[in-house]
Amino acid sequence: MIRIATQLLLRRLLLAIPILLCVSALVFIILRLLPADPIAMSLPPGATPDDVERLKRDFGLDRSIPEQYVIWLGKLLSGDFGTSIFFRRGVGELLAKALPATIELVATGLLLGVALGVAGGLAMFAGRDTAVEQSLDLSTTGLMAIPEFLWALLLILLLGVAFPILPFIGRLSPDTPLPPSITGFLILDSLLSGRWDAFRSAVTHLILPSLALAIGLAPLVMRVLRSSLLETILEDYITQARLRGVSERAILVRHALKNAALPTISLIGVQGGFMFGGTVLVEMIFAYPGLGNLMVDAVRNHDLPVIQAVALIYCVLVLAINAIVDVAYLSANPRLRFA
Amino acid sequence: MSPRARAAIGRSLESPRVVTGGVIILAMTMIALLAPLIAPHSPQEQDLINTLLPPMWSPGGDAAYPLGTDTLGRCILSRLLFGARIALYVAFVAATGAMLLGAAMALAAAYCGGWVDWIICRLVDIWMAFPPVVLALILLVGMGSGVNKVVLAIILIDWTRFCRVIRSEAMVVMTRDYVAAARLAGFTHLQIILKELLPAVSPLLITLLSLEMGIAVIVEAIMSFVGLSVEPDVAAWGVMIADARQTMMQAPSGVVFPVLAIFLAVLGFNLIGDGLRRTSDTRLLVSRGAA
Repeated sequence: MIRIATQLLLRRLLLAIPILLCVSALVFIILRLLPADPIAMSLPPGATPDDVERLKRDFGLDRSIPEQYVIWLGKLLSGDFGTSIFFRRGVGELLAKALPATIELVATGLLLGVALGVAGGLAMFAGRDTAVEQSLDLSTTGLMAIPEFLWALLLILLLGVAFPILPFIGRLSPDTPLPPSITGFLILDSLLSGRWDAFRSAVTHLILPSLALAIGLAPLVMRVLRSSLLETILEDYITQARLRGVSERAILVRHALKNAALPTISLIGVQGGFMFGGTVLVEMIFAYPGLGNLMVDAVRNHDLPVIQAVALIYCVLVLAINAIVDVAYLSANPRLRFA
Repeated sequence: MSPRARAAIGRSLESPRVVTGGVIILAMTMIALLAPLIAPHSPQEQDLINTLLPPMWSPGGDAAYPLGTDTLGRCILSRLLFGARIALYVAFVAATGAMLLGAAMALAAAYCGGWVDWIICRLVDIWMAFPPVVLALILLVGMGSGVNKVVLAIILIDWTRFCRVIRSEAMVVMTRDYVAAARLAGFTHLQIILKELLPAVSPLLITLLSLEMGIAVIVEAIMSFVGLSVEPDVAAWGVMIADARQTMMQAPSGVVFPVLAIFLAVLGFNLIGDGLRRTSDTRLLVSRGAA
């Protein structure tokens, strides 16, 4: 099992390399179509043409596009992401701060979304052919018509303003001092350093943004789980179990759910990748200092080095989620282990 | 129209989802077309004395502004009505464009097979490595902003949604006897693609088209929310939400109404797509005993 999983991960890794090369070249070329001059935008009004030329040289923007790409790629491989034109700081440094924040958010969002989705799917299945299923089915259609960023706004209105019980700005309350940075993940850091105040603050700040992401995922999980449960329940081995006198609940948990989980797992793989896209706006709305916020700032200021790096990191994250889900799929499906 | 197509349309119109969705979208299209006639104000007209008015039914509301006003005293109802034009324009044009590009690629991949199929599949792989919103942001930085750039960005990003699904469906159709028969009868390549493959995948194509229209409405709202779509003074739903966000605490209606408009539009398209899938998917038909 472990051997096959390692093989799978290795194959995924080998496939990821050409994809990432193509993605980085694609992003690089698209960004060079840019009509506006990013250097001119970042300079104070009194700058002379000489200043512009000097800065262009500093950022390597005076060379040809293929040359720029090769230089950028070479530096990237040695761990140098370049310097932000707008923030005037190392891109690597900006990423190191933003990446753990986004991973923390997506991980919570995924967990919450899958939990809500599985619960809803089971409820729909348990209430099949009744009004419960009908109304849940209709409400999934309704829920799916609102994208994550609008959920973010609605949740702020409801639980931040109308019933102000949860914070909705940033990762920590302003009066809570930061826990010492050990991993960059606030929840882990505050736990490791035993800072319960920071832990509580970080968790409450995560609830609304991750809920906004989770509501986008849950209805999809509900639907897929329900329909695969409906298919599984017709299989012979379920009838067999019933004939043996196994209770309906045990059939559901021990036999049906395991087999019906497979399509749900692949769905989570695809949607997990999309969820990183959802974080862009959700982070912006909650002023959550992650990759999405960094991306929006960079896009507004035409900060090419940051946009390039963040785009690449997003692709790495999407490919990583796909790989993780592949392994989960493998461990849930014994039939694949001997292939 | 072939009797088979007529039967399919008849079956679709029996689905309450398709009918509800159709009514919503039809009403919205009418409203968008007639916006200059029915809107009580110009969407840009400012009334700086009456800013942030609540809707007319709540205390302090004014019947001249049925849904209230925004920070610049612009009529929210009028801006919503005009915003429908942008949303539906993007929905129809961008989704159709993405469908044409995606279907062309899918049919080429399925029909030619071999290296054509390989290249198209690898392109889809690369595209799928991006979260769509991130790719859209990058494209709009490269191409510059504007509503037509948003349309182009949606086409260039979402063709993969059509391509993946249609390709695998067309692969199945390629193995059918009638395709072999058409070949033996001396049909040209183009004739086989247009007369045999395309009709076989078209129910799926229409379902995907209507779901894609909902996605296009959302993408346009996101891009105008970030300020990369229409000019800032044009009334689009995303712009309205972005403007009203600053004063959301005092005047939530500025956010709530455009959110409701987006919800209705997306719900309409999704209902149509959902209903069509349920009536046209042969596997579902068999399991429900309708075929």
